[in-house]
Amino acid sequence: MKLLTHNMLTSHVRGVRPGGGFPLRIKATEVKVNNVDFNQEFTARMVPKVEWGALVEAAESLGHRGDLPSEPIPDYESNEDFLRKVHHVLMEVEVVEGMLKCPDTGREFPITKGIPNMLLSEEET
Amino acid sequence: MAEGAQLRLQPPKETTASCCAASSSAAYFCTAGRGMERFLMREVQARLGATQVEYVSGKVFFTTSAELSMLKKLKSAERLFLLLNKYPPLFISKNKGRIICDIQKLVNEDSRLWLDIVTVWKSLQGQEVKQDNVSPDSQKRKLEEEDSINNKRQKTDQFLETVSAKNQVKNQRRCDMSETDIDNALSEGKLFLEKSCEVIQEKCVESDSCFSFRVSCRCSGALAKVFPAQVVGRIIGTALMKHFGWKADLRNPSIEIFVHLNDIYSVIGIPVFRLPLASRAYIKTPGLRSTVAWAMASFAEIQAGAFVLDPTCGLGTILLEAATEWTNAHYLGTDISASQLQGAYSNIQAAGLMGKIDLLKASVTELPLPPESIDVVFADFPFGKKFKITNEMKLLPDVLQEIERVLCVGGTVVLLLSQELHKLINGGISSGPETENHNSAECEVVSLESDTQEKTGSPRIISPSAQHTGKEDISNTKSILGSLVLVESLEVSLGKTDAYMCKYKKPIAGLASMKS
Repeated sequence: MKLLTHNMLTSHVRGVRPGGGFPLRIKATEVKVNNVDFNQEFTARMVPKVEWGALVEAAESLGHRGDLPSEPIPDYESNEDFLRKVHHVLMEVEVVEGMLKCPDTGREFPITKGIPNMLLSEEET
Repeated sequence: MAEGAQLRLQPPKETTASCCAASSSAAYFCTAGRGMERFLMREVQARLGATQVEYVSGKVFFTTSAELSMLKKLKSAERLFLLLNKYPPLFISKNKGRIICDIQKLVNEDSRLWLDIVTVWKSLQGQEVKQDNVSPDSQKRKLEEEDSINNKRQKTDQFLETVSAKNQVKNQRRCDMSETDIDNALSEGKLFLEKSCEVIQEKCVESDSCFSFRVSCRCSGALAKVFPAQVVGRIIGTALMKHFGWKADLRNPSIEIFVHLNDIYSVIGIPVFRLPLASRAYIKTPGLRSTVAWAMASFAEIQAGAFVLDPTCGLGTILLEAATEWTNAHYLGTDISASQLQGAYSNIQAAGLMGKIDLLKASVTELPLPPESIDVVFADFPFGKKFKITNEMKLLPDVLQEIERVLCVGGTVVLLLSQELHKLINGGISSGPETENHNSAECEVVSLESDTQEKTGSPRIISPSAQHTGKEDISNTKSILGSLVLVESLEVSLGKTDAYMCKYKKPIAGLASMKS
């Protein structure tokens, strides 16, 4: 699971407040850093799309924040240095094993071989 | 109608400069699954700058000067042929001898053309061999295997079979190899076999003495009633032997002559590649037909920076086709089956697309995503094979409602539906410009309706009958679709069965009612 994907994941367990269940806390037992081709155009398009606070928090919790600023910088489209940092955090940091925890209900979702199991039982929906 | 919409393909990243110089233009045709012709026509124009593009059911004819490396990139075609000639249909006279004579004329009457096209074919084969030698994935191969193959390249076909057998034995010995590795090695082995065959072919072509051929003949219509395809094939084969002195070889011919005769046309062509274009080097275990998967992604018009979801991803075939072609997007695949996800994972890994696609185990009726977070959804509903129609009907409204929820306003959904589901969802709606306005007017009412459902927090399981209790009695099918508007639907062939590829949009007009 890349942090870009994590940035979209929400828990829909019963009891989550409206608009809640986000961001899921990451408890990683194995994190891998992959080498993914840098795509400047794509990364620039991701900056306004992601929940920046959640991204910084997730990267921080994995110890891979580097010097990613707490706010996107102005004129980020043309700043390759900044976009490379964003690319690294979004695309290259991969949670292979661990847990995702719903901030509202505490429900845990296991991550196995990079695939989070977000399936809910019938009682939970 | 979106018929005129241009097919956008991202410019190829790799430079083709290292490949051979541009060849002169030649006439080709591709075979395609029924319903794929329009995708293929657009693709040959967009990718190859093809001219004189024409189609008949199951075939697209075109002329291009594109290099072999570009021809190989065609995604919506089954096979590619160099066109020898396209004639009007044979006249089926009552006199069988006359018909035989006419069939023979296909060979005898224009021997110049035959020899010219065979020369073009040979030069294409030359390109193929050259490219193989410089292709980047050749460097990925293990050196020892490379050596062993090189040494044996010039040997006979029989020998090649032994080589692949040896590879298998070798792989079995390596107990520490993961299953994936073995599979990889095996498929590589197959590729070697393929390529080596082509080299041998090339050798044979050079020395005309062992130039051998096989005729693959298909007949339908009036001619098929008089002669079976095998007989026609034999007539042509005999003519070729007499006229050009070629040798027939059914098992491992230098060249294959493809003849298709029916009531509409007579087509003769030579396959450019041994493997069909539809069998992809980057898909280890295909699920859905690769051509249809590519067409679905193409139909979805994926924009740069899009989030793309396949909520019933299975082995990930559509994701692989999409992520290979439209590289500026982020792809998510979800499925409830762990074994399917594992298959998808190893497919994605084998294709080197780990950086583009993430997988989640989740239910299509409970997607772990916020509302309006996805730009494009494509899905091949597995219904029909695994579920009884009654179950489908129960599940379908939930599935569509969930897809609609996660889809951004202005977003696109492309669904592959069985005939039953198509009828169920789209009812009598025909796609087209005149019905489009009508649809969107109705859809506003529907979106209001679904909005109230959300507010009252009604349970997710809504039976179709419960859904159309609104005062505006809209057909059952409308309610299932929610705010989604059918833009276009196309019938495509999946081989044994037919399916409908349907494109829906979540209209921007519905915005006010959705958000209020």
